[in-house]
Amino acid sequence: MGMKAIVSCGLAASFLALASPAFAPAKAAEAREQLREQFDKAVKGKTVAWAPVWLGVLESEWTRVMKNHFDDYGIKLEVRDANFKSDVQLQAVSALINEHPDVLIVQNPNVTLLAKELKRAMQAGIYVVQVNMASNTLTDAYVGVDAKDLGRKLAHNIIGDCGGGKGSGEVSILEGEATAAYSLDMKNGALEVFKSDPSIKVVSSQPTSWDANKAGEITATVLQQHPNLCAILSVWGPQAAGAAQAIKAAGKAGKAKIYVASDGQPADCDLLEQGAFYRNLSYRADTQGEAIVNAVLALLQSGDKPGSKRIAYYTTPAWVNSKEDRMYCFTVPKIAK
Amino acid sequence: MAVMAMCALLIAVFSVWLPGFFSFGNLFALARNISILGILALGMAVVVIGRGLDLSQVASLAASTAIAIILMNAGLATPLALAVGFLLAIAIGVMNGFLISVVEMPPLLTTLASSLAVLGVTRTTAVQHYVVYLAKGHDDFLKLGGNVWGGAPAPLLVFLVMAALVHLLLSRTVLGRFIYAHGDNPEAARLSGLPTRPLTMVEYGLSAAIGYVGGVVMISETALMHLQVAESTLIFDVIMVVVLGGVSLVGGRGNVMSVLVGTLLIGVLLNGMTIMDMDVQTQNIIKGIVLLIAIGLDSYLHPRDEETSKQGD
Repeated sequence: MGMKAIVSCGLAASFLALASPAFAPAKAAEAREQLREQFDKAVKGKTVAWAPVWLGVLESEWTRVMKNHFDDYGIKLEVRDANFKSDVQLQAVSALINEHPDVLIVQNPNVTLLAKELKRAMQAGIYVVQVNMASNTLTDAYVGVDAKDLGRKLAHNIIGDCGGGKGSGEVSILEGEATAAYSLDMKNGALEVFKSDPSIKVVSSQPTSWDANKAGEITATVLQQHPNLCAILSVWGPQAAGAAQAIKAAGKAGKAKIYVASDGQPADCDLLEQGAFYRNLSYRADTQGEAIVNAVLALLQSGDKPGSKRIAYYTTPAWVNSKEDRMYCFTVPKIAK
Repeated sequence: MAVMAMCALLIAVFSVWLPGFFSFGNLFALARNISILGILALGMAVVVIGRGLDLSQVASLAASTAIAIILMNAGLATPLALAVGFLLAIAIGVMNGFLISVVEMPPLLTTLASSLAVLGVTRTTAVQHYVVYLAKGHDDFLKLGGNVWGGAPAPLLVFLVMAALVHLLLSRTVLGRFIYAHGDNPEAARLSGLPTRPLTMVEYGLSAAIGYVGGVVMISETALMHLQVAESTLIFDVIMVVVLGGVSLVGGRGNVMSVLVGTLLIGVLLNGMTIMDMDVQTQNIIKGIVLLIAIGLDSYLHPRDEETSKQGD
């Protein structure tokens, strides 16, 4: 009945149009409705499968934003939380491919774990979107930060504060999991920049396994050996909280400064405002979540064969220096907690 | 003994080769870093001496300290919040002991399963995002993770006090003797009238309670609890320290001194490798080799016999 009603409506409208020239032409209304119809045809009833490394603060925020939008568009979202266990995640992704969703979104724990499965998914006709941690297999879309560039940006900032005689030039790097692409790329990006400045000396670069206690232990030892340590570059916020306490315990507050690559979780901004962190290079999970949604919408409407394109949606990070920059940390709505 | 020699050798080598290793500052840093591991190992030793194993120790401390933090953030007085967490930890330990001694489930599987259950329940009910931060304004509590006079780390003092208490408990009290008897020969202990079931519950309760103290030190050092610690290799490091020091998994052997030596060996090793800024792979290789040498020496000096050997040992 839809079309018919529109046509008869249009006829009536053209009579009326004689009286009121401002009334929109029928044809344009039709086109606009067609756009929505075309959109609904492409996305409504589709299934999106999502396999994060775990559902931490960041991942939960992505999931919340995705669910919010997908519910509105009539897209079904299926989430599999691997809870930081790579064998579980591999199994989950394999199982999801066999269930044949229309889009598969993954967050890779490292560059190799899911590489083969992602290829298999695209061959099976599933669009694959990777989020924040990229695999060795490139897929239809990548949404997330350019970790290497984050490392470079942090390093430039540290050189500005510690290099060229302004500070001791001694820097310690707190990695995450040693083999995680995110951590590895960021470290390499930072080292690349640090090497270009002879006044900078990287005195320690150790993995913490994302653990605040381990980060605190490493920092306590490093501060003993290098009491003039100028900066600590941490690839993640929560682990850096442990380093901040170690600095406090060593009586070096304000001297050894912490630079964090932050995923924008509220605690990172809290710690910066309390003076525990010196600079956060932050990206917001909620806007990233929207970028994921956009990537999914673009792929579903593209008509391309899965695996035929490589589109990147890089997140632009922003510096958090003070309370004024609170908008670069997201806030978790009360209901979502 | 062999482990102690190994430890002395390592300290000597590092002192000569590594500038900055043998200084008060670094030794304090070293002591700070091993305090938590040492405290947990004391609790584990109690259970292992009683011929058990507690794989849920870290999960239970993570869950109970996370709840203590939530209560502290909600405005409850710090001692009260810590006491609630303490009782919770003991409850988890006693429940383990109950399942093992009364329901007669094997300790390994019981504690493995209960750690998963405890973690799962905590995550679904209280700490959905795995990390819980201590809110501002608990500076007095955070002093526990700081330094005391002369730059000595407070966690070290907690470790030493706990070591003294556990030593007194194991060597000077009836309960301590019972735990040794229980581990040495559970059947004989039962036949001679020891209340082995309640005893098991006490052992696991102690392990959880001592573990909780370690957890409290942990949050005082970092001002947060990241539940993922329960899924890290920490629990195996704890068992490693216990076994390395000479608390045999067959039960009834070892004492607090063994735990101290085991803790020290691991601590010296980790500290030295961090100072050298070694990459992880090399660290793992060295850790593995040193452990194999230490255990090898130990079984050469104390050969296994029919009484002490058991399947999988």
